[in-house]
Amino acid sequence: MKAFIEDALRTAFPDAQLHVIDTTGGGDHFQVEIISPCFAGLSMIDQHRRVYDALGDKLGYEIHALGLSTRAPAA
Amino acid sequence: MRDVQAEIAQLVTSKPIVLFMKGTASLPMCGFSARTVEVIKACGVPFEAVNVLADPDIREGVKIFGRWPTVPQLYVGGKLVGGCDIATALYERGELAPMLKQAASAVA
Repeated sequence: MKAFIEDALRTAFPDAQLHVIDTTGGGDHFQVEIISPCFAGLSMIDQHRRVYDALGDKLGYEIHALGLSTRAPAA
Repeated sequence: MRDVQAEIAQLVTSKPIVLFMKGTASLPMCGFSARTVEVIKACGVPFEAVNVLADPDIREGVKIFGRWPTVPQLYVGGKLVGGCDIATALYERGELAPMLKQAASAVA
C-alpha cells in the first residue's frame, strides 16, 4: 500500500518532494508529507482534496488513516 | 425514502460549529476525531458533535456532501473547513479560535 500511495502521488504531483511513512507498520495507517508547486495559491482544503483525488477510492477502505501535511515550496 | 444529503445540509447550518466525528466529544473512538475535539475545546467555544458511527447513512453521506473522503469533518458557518490535520494546523497558527468565535457570535 505504501508503494501504491507513492506511485499515485508521484503521478499526480511529478515535481513534488514526497515522504510517505507507514506509521504503524500495518500497511493501512500513513503519514504523508508533500511539498509541490501544484499547491501554490490553493487553500489547505483544496490542497488536501487534490491528494484525496489522487488516491481515489482506496481512501477510507484499504487506507484507514492518512495524516497529511501539504504545502508549496517556499518562493 | 430518506434524503441524507438534505439532512446533512440542515445539520451543518443548524449550528455555527458542527463536527462530524467517530464517537462522542466525551468519548472519541478515533485518534483523529479525538485530536480535533481537543483543538476545538481549547478554543473555548461550544460546538455540535455528530457521531457518524451511530448512523451509517450519515457516515457515508458526509463523504459525498463535503467532497471529503474521511471523518472527522469540521463545518464552520455551514462550510467545510477540513479534517483533523487542517483543524490542528489552524489551531497551531492561532487562526482556529478567531474563526470559531466569529462563527459562534454571528448567530448569537
